[in-house]
Formats: sequence, structure tokens, C-alpha cells
Amino acid sequence: MGRDLPMYVGSRGEREPTLAPWEGSAPHGRRRPQRGDAGMSEIAIGIDLGTSNSCVAVMRNGEVEVLTNAYGEATTASVVAFREDGGINVGNAAKANIIHLPDRTVHSSKRLIGRYFFSEEVKKAQAICSYRIVEAENHGLRIQIDEEKFSLPEIAAMILSEMKSIAEARIGQPVTKAVITVPAYFNDNQRQATKDAGRIAGLEVLRILNEPTAAALSYGFGRGLSQRVAIWDLGGGTFDISVLEIGDDVFEVLSTAGDTFLGGEDFDDRLIDLLADEFSARTGVNLRNDRYALEKLKVAAEGAKKGLSLENEVEIRIPDVITTANGESHSIERSLTSIEYAALVNDLIQSTFKVCDEALQQAGVVARDLDGIILVGGPTRLPLVRDTVREYFQQEPREGIDPDRVVAMGAAIHAASLVSSDQEAYLLDVTPLSLRIGIVGDLAECVIERNTPVPIEQTRTFTTFKDGQESVEIKVFQGESQEARDNELLGQFSFSEFEKGARGEVQIDVTFEIDTDGIVSVTATDRATGRAASTRITLSSGLSENELDAIIDESRTDRVEPTTRVDENNRVIGAIPLKSVPADTPVVFEETRASKARLVGDDDLIEESELLPLDEAPTIPDAVPAAAAPADGPMGAGGESTRSISEPSRLDRSAKAAQIGSDDPEEIEAFSGNFSQNVIDPAAIGAEDEGDDLDLIDVDEDDDLDLLGGDEEEELGGPILELGRDAELADTEPVIANDQLFESPGTDLSELDDDNEEPR
Amino acid sequence: MAPTEIKALARIIDELDYYQLLHLQPGASPRDIKLAFHSTSRAFHPDANRHLDDELRSAVSNIAKRVTEAYQVLRDARRRGAYDDQLQSGGGSRIRIAEALSAGSRQDTETRQGRTPQGRQYFNLAKLDAQRGDWAAAARQLQTALTFEPDNEFFKSELKAARAKAR
Repeated sequence: MGRDLPMYVGSRGEREPTLAPWEGSAPHGRRRPQRGDAGMSEIAIGIDLGTSNSCVAVMRNGEVEVLTNAYGEATTASVVAFREDGGINVGNAAKANIIHLPDRTVHSSKRLIGRYFFSEEVKKAQAICSYRIVEAENHGLRIQIDEEKFSLPEIAAMILSEMKSIAEARIGQPVTKAVITVPAYFNDNQRQATKDAGRIAGLEVLRILNEPTAAALSYGFGRGLSQRVAIWDLGGGTFDISVLEIGDDVFEVLSTAGDTFLGGEDFDDRLIDLLADEFSARTGVNLRNDRYALEKLKVAAEGAKKGLSLENEVEIRIPDVITTANGESHSIERSLTSIEYAALVNDLIQSTFKVCDEALQQAGVVARDLDGIILVGGPTRLPLVRDTVREYFQQEPREGIDPDRVVAMGAAIHAASLVSSDQEAYLLDVTPLSLRIGIVGDLAECVIERNTPVPIEQTRTFTTFKDGQESVEIKVFQGESQEARDNELLGQFSFSEFEKGARGEVQIDVTFEIDTDGIVSVTATDRATGRAASTRITLSSGLSENELDAIIDESRTDRVEPTTRVDENNRVIGAIPLKSVPADTPVVFEETRASKARLVGDDDLIEESELLPLDEAPTIPDAVPAAAAPADGPMGAGGESTRSISEPSRLDRSAKAAQIGSDDPEEIEAFSGNFSQNVIDPAAIGAEDEGDDLDLIDVDEDDDLDLLGGDEEEELGGPILELGRDAELADTEPVIANDQLFESPGTDLSELDDDNEEPR
Repeated sequence: MAPTEIKALARIIDELDYYQLLHLQPGASPRDIKLAFHSTSRAFHPDANRHLDDELRSAVSNIAKRVTEAYQVLRDARRRGAYDDQLQSGGGSRIRIAEALSAGSRQDTETRQGRTPQGRQYFNLAKLDAQRGDWAAAARQLQTALTFEPDNEFFKSELKAARAKAR
């Protein structure tokens, strides 16, 4: 990656260092970190915190290195296992627990971070995950293990903490700074929660970076390119597409679009369904009712996907997938061809192209304008995915880019850039979702459109509706719908720090800002007094500053036992926590990601030695796996070893929450019963306006009368007006928002309301 | 850029229009605009200035936010048109990005509210009638509004709907 950068245009060289008290020990100027003096230079790592796997990298001396764990693996499973003795394990060893101790093994937590308890995603996870997801204050959620409840940022912090340990072992010095990547389509709630996770893990999060942008940086850094590229990123749980223009050292995101409900695990679900249906047709036994069988199916499905990345046909063998009540043992044996698989998942792949159409259109380009297509994410190893993408973009995707590592590498490049005094790349990113403010009629008016570059700030001025009004309520949303309820509520706050006055006299400036992390903040200021109340827009279910401090103080993250550390001779060693699995279950690990992964019957695997029993593990460079294995650790107790389910634990299986329903009537009953109490209309949050918490009028709106605020205007005596720059109050009566024309009880709006399109 | 210059720029930023901010001529091409955004961002990107003290960093950040705002308006022909109109008519140096409407959608807004005072007046009366559920009256008001704006398609469709309701 070494290269000569053209000097950027600009005047940094002219800065007078004496006037700038640069923070830390890195004075401004051209002083590069001393090469080969890693102990002295400031280190910052890049972490790709994935749904199913995470990866950490660092850039030193101009070279980007992916930091492997003690077992030589570039990626570490994003799985957290809670042992009965209180210890916590993260990674592939933890993943092996899913089968044995599903209720203590948290996987796919990225799908839950920054979500409300009532969200679809949480519903799905509750239906299929064995660990307990419970509701917390303000529609938040926690994961409950025994009596302990963990917030999602805390779970993510445990994964980050493991990645940090890997980095520290490999780099040989403490690491406190990181760039963490998120899907480009993550909303503010999810970004904020991820940033909180970094803090809990003891990391200063230099930047929340979009995954596709990181991939583009890794691709284009230091190459002096002038190209337009698309990053097609299909991860475990999310799909993102970003279109970028790379102009030398500037990486400008032209547009981004995505789907946070589409990922490789949806592919797995299709195959699980097929296998379960076939099995049910053949035997009359529904495997979906048996968690262990289901886990085996998931392992097999993920293995098949990986196998089909390399072969045209794979053999699926699941011996003893289930033993029925009468003691009969059933197996699954079936071959699966690429063509059959394509038929299963083709519509999923096709659905990404609708998102691509949108991104290209927003970027103002067509496919043939693109100079390159970069594929990111494990599923892009499937030839069928590559073929379909090639067909859509009418060009060959770029070769030679590791789809599992490229994001962490880009994050590492950016991290290095942020701690160095040399700025070698400029990332000009965009906000993926429109920022909106709640107005009358449960509508949400756009303040900052999606694909607007960040950082950005917009101010609106509002006034009160009633004489002597005490406070105003401000609700902030993200999303593309004019209907408030179809957007994500980022937060709401009540502002009362203003000089009370007659209606229309008070002027309150509300400033919306999106920073370079894509994180939103909102400030309200009284023009008369200059008094301000600002808020980090906090997910109602998110962590408050106090809660965050409490979590950091409690430091449960310290219970994570790093698998990768340095021994007294400064050698990196691995310590697979064997006590966490039954003694007769071989603990294994995948040697390298690229090793031939054929499928899936356990015998095959062992014979092909892609996965090695620990005690047979060869010496891996820089790795000395711990050998001893306590025979009966607390997590191993419980007799699982008799269940013939050892094979999945030998596989590098996906830990993602498959989106499949359960057929178990009891479970469905319990689930829906559980849920009905908790389903909350997002639009109804904060509908409990109290007393004088009235709505605001925007003072500098054009003379249409948008009514901002709560849902109960009628009872509260009517909403307040948003007043135009050129507004004449007299002309604006009666107070009816445009969109509310003809709205009256019992009126069918659908005939009349076809004019509700968002102006583009 | 020297700290004194940064502070000075931050102070006068409200007086600069988007072209001045990006060092552009009013007739700048889209390519010029993009290149100007890139080079200005190199100087003011928050990443490139994270080593500054709080005061300067906040000044740089304010400039950066205004630079992206300028770019977001000028890079889009329709938004730029609306902005140019605003400058021409002596309006402010800033425009709301979400509402720097294309000529088309601005027209649309005008159409929906009425383009003439009388049209607006009768349209508002129609709204009141409709709120009361008196669709026949609403239809009459819309009919009157249409005499002032005979080609207002939005009024026409509302009239049609009101008549349907009245029946």
C-alpha cells in the first residue's frame, strides 16, 4: 500500500504550529510516525463488527495487516457465550456452545442493536433465538442470562473487547483507539448504540465508518484513481450498495441504499426450509420443533452455502438429525447442485437489484458509467451471486479483493489516518436516510434528505401555538415515508427553556445536525434569550449517559476471557476455553478462511482436515494453542454429549438468527401472547403529551401551514403553525395542513389523498 | 489555512453565498462544483482538522457543514435553479436543502395552495367546508377557485373528489 501521495490542494502546510495546541503527542507537521518504532507511535485499529463474523486490522508502516487470532483465523465469530461460572467467551469456541447451551449463547446480536423491543427484527429473533430477549425501559431490550440482563451495546462491547485483545496480542501494545464499521444503511439509533459499545469496550471510537465506504477506501487508497465504483455488500444480515467517486485522495459517496433485513442468513433459511419440508414429507416429523435439529440444519445450510462457493454440487449429510420419541434415529442425506440452490435464493439476489436501481438513480449514474464493481461479504463468494451481479452491472466484478477482510482493512487505513498528522484520504460520506421532524397528522416532514453529504446542519424556526405555552415537544424521525409511523423514531424531547409569551411571539430555533459518523444531534434555542437545550438524539430505548457510565463502571466486559494473548515470552498464544464444552466434543477451528470448505457431514470435514481437533492442531505461525482441556467445565455439564450433536460444533457455522418461524403451536402461542402486551405503535410513543406540552409553529416556512407535533392536537386545543418566511398570519388561517385537506371523521381519504407524494 | 483565517472565515460565513464559499463563479460547471467541493473539503474536513483545539475545531466544523450544504444545493440543477432565483431576487444566502425545490415541485406546491390570492381564498374556504363535511359547499368553493385558476389540475381533482363525496 505504500505510495506517493500527491500533495493535496489546500493550505495545511502553511499552518503555524505555534498557534495550534495539537492534542496528544502528535504535533502538526510532517513528522511521520517513526517507522519500526511501533512502541512509540499511536496505534489505532479498524474493526469490522459483523453480524456473524468480525475482523480486525491495523495499518503500520504503510502496510495494512489483518490481525489473526491465535488460531490463524482472520475472522472471529460474533458470538458471546456466558458460562455458568460467570466467565464469558467470544468467538468460534463460543459459537460451539450454540448447540449445547443455546440459551446462554448470544449470536447475531448485530441484528438487534439499536432496535426497539416492538420492532419486527426483535419479533423474529424472539421466535428463533434460544436466548432470552426481554423488554427494558422505554421500549428497549436486554438479553437475559440467568438473573443478569445485558444491553445490546454491552454484548457488542464483549465482541469488540475480544477483537481488541487479538489486536493487542498481535501488535504487542495496548490499543485504545478504533474505527468501527457499520452497514451504510444503519440508522442513528444503531450507530449510536455501536459507538456506545466501543466506549464500553474501553475504546475511543475515532469514527463510525460505513462498511462500503471502508471497502472503497481499501480498494482505492493510495492508488491515485479517478473512478466511479459501486460497492455491492451482502453481509450476514444486511445488504448495502454505495456508489462512490474516487478522485485521487477524495472518496466521495454519491449515494447509498440498503436493506437491513437481507443477508446471507436468509439464503440459509431458504435451504433450511427446503430440508425441513422434505424431511417432514418423508417422515412426518417437523424438525422445526426441535431446537437441536434446527441448529444442525442451520449448520448444514451454512456449510452448503460455503461449499457451493467452490463446487457445483455439495453433499449434505446430517446423521441423526433427530431421534424421535420411539427411539428411531433419522438422518438427512442429499446432494444439492448450484442450480437447485440458485432456484432457492434467486429472488433474494434479485431483490438487491431494486435497491441498486435506487442507488444508481440517486447517484445520477447508470451501470455502464461505473468503472468497477467491488463485492463485499461472504455470500459474494457464491459463483451464482457473482454471475447475477455481473449480469446486472454488465461487467466483471473486481478480482483479488477478499470480501471478508476488505472492510476491516479500510477501517484500519482510516484509523491510521485519523491518528496520523498526515491526512492521506478524505472521506465524503452521506446520510443514508432522510431526517424528519414530526408534524401534525402523524406526518414527518423532511429536514435533511437522504444522500445529503455529511457533516450537515439545518435550522428551522418554530413558535408556540398558545398564549403562555410552557413547552414544546420535538420528535425526530429517520426514514423515507411522510407517515411518521413508517419511519424510525430517533427520539423526542420537550423544550421549555424559553421566555413565555403570547402565541406566535416566541421564536425557537431548532437545529438538526448530522456529523461525520452519521450521528444526529438536535439543539433548541430560544431566540430571545439565547438559552439552548441540546440533546444527543437518543433512542428512547437507548442507553442514557448515566446508564452508560454505570455499565462502564460495572465492567462486566472484563469477564470476557480473551482467546488470544501473549505469553511471558511475548509469543501469541491461544486459549480455547475448553471447559465450556463437553469433554467428548472435539473443539476445533477452521484453519483459514480460504481453506477448502466442502460440506458438511462431520466425517468429511475431519477427513479433509479443514477443521482440526485441537489436540491434533498443527503449529500455526505465532500461535500456540493451549492444550489442556478440563474435562467437565460448568458449561459442559448437562449430558448433551449423549445427544449425538457433536458435529455442528466442529463446523465454522453461522451463528445468525435464521428468520424462520416455529411451527410449534405452544411456542407460537407463548410468543404471540408475550408480544401482544408489548406491541407498541411507534407513532404512539410520546403521544402522551402532557398539559402544556404543545406543538410548535415553524416561523420561517413558506406560507403553507405545517403543523408540528403531537397526536392529540384536537384535545389540546389545536396544533401550532409553522410560519413561512413570507408568511402572513392573516392569510394563513384557517390552520389546516395541506395534507389534511378534507380530513374529517368518517371520510375515506384514499380517494382524495393521492397528492401526498414527497416532493423530490 | 492559518487559525486566524479560519476564525475570520467562520465569522463571516453567514454573509457568503454558496458560490463565494466554494470559490466559484456563478456560471460554474457541474465539474467545477465537484472539484471545488473536493478541494474545499480537503481544507475543512473534520478529519483533517481533528488536531485543532476546541475553538478552532468548532469553527472548522461550522465551515465544513456550510460547505456540504453549498454543494448539496449547487450540484443539483433544480436546487441550484431555485437558489439562483433566490439570490437574484435579493433573498438570503442560504436555502433549505430539503426545500430548495425544483422548479417543478415548487410549482406543484403553488398549485396545491393556489397561485392567486382569490384562488387561495376559495380553496381555503373549501377546506373549511370539507372539514365540516359539507362536500357540496366545498365543491362550490372549488368551482369558484377554478374560475381564478382554470388550469389548476390539483383544484380540478379536488373538485372531482368533493363532488363524489357530495353524492
